[in-house]
Amino acid sequence: MGKNAPAEQMILNIPSDLKYLGAVDAAIQDLAREFLFSSDDINDVSTALIEACSNAIEHGNRFAPDKRVLVTLVFNGMNFTARVKDQGVGFDFEKALRENLPTDPMSERGRGLMIMRAFTDGLTFSYADGGLQVELTKRRVADGGSDPSE
Amino acid sequence: MKVTQREVGSAVVLDLNGKLTGGPDADMFRDVFKALVDQGKKNIVVNLEKVSWINSTGLGILISGYTSVRRAGGDLVVMHASERIESILYVTKLNLLFKSYENEDEAVKSFSQAGR
Repeated sequence: MGKNAPAEQMILNIPSDLKYLGAVDAAIQDLAREFLFSSDDINDVSTALIEACSNAIEHGNRFAPDKRVLVTLVFNGMNFTARVKDQGVGFDFEKALRENLPTDPMSERGRGLMIMRAFTDGLTFSYADGGLQVELTKRRVADGGSDPSE
Repeated sequence: MKVTQREVGSAVVLDLNGKLTGGPDADMFRDVFKALVDQGKKNIVVNLEKVSWINSTGLGILISGYTSVRRAGGDLVVMHASERIESILYVTKLNLLFKSYENEDEAVKSFSQAGR
């Protein structure tokens, strides 16, 4: 699949329950393999996406059974983009992005952004339609490190 | 997440099976660690062989357990972490906190070598 390949998209609409993370993981692992992501990149993408979905369920929707998490996966040949949107009230993501690391190394919290940032090539937050949306991007690199579009 | 425990020498090995993601798991793990510390069992090996992945809340569960046993004078180490989990420990710098072993014998011996 080259640079001009049309984008392919899949949308998952999951309940605010952590048990659905396995289904998200299975979907992204399978699709990323289909789109020729390297095994390392597949693990990176999946780890970041699981973290984003965990945050949406736990901190965004606060496990509310009447709230959903919308996961949009887009492959366009070169890049993978995942958008994870919750129905919560959000948080001060600009402050969180500035701080990044928890100040206390023994803190049980505060590593989610670090994980999402480390395993992707792009991470943005925005508010849209009454919820927080996290967008993760990952550039596809074939095994051996070469850009598959070249 | 399923947890079974067994005693090996001076250590307790916790065999985890599933995904370490927080939610109800967090309360269950707190209870497990509290019971172990209450029984004087403070050298813990967490076997991650059958843990497919872990998120930041799951890391918090491990840190909570680590804090409990360290306060009691013990230690918590991990073994059989997959490459995926090792990379998460690395980027969060928790590889500096949790000693990671590739086999059970080394993990169990680590406590006596540390004089615990």
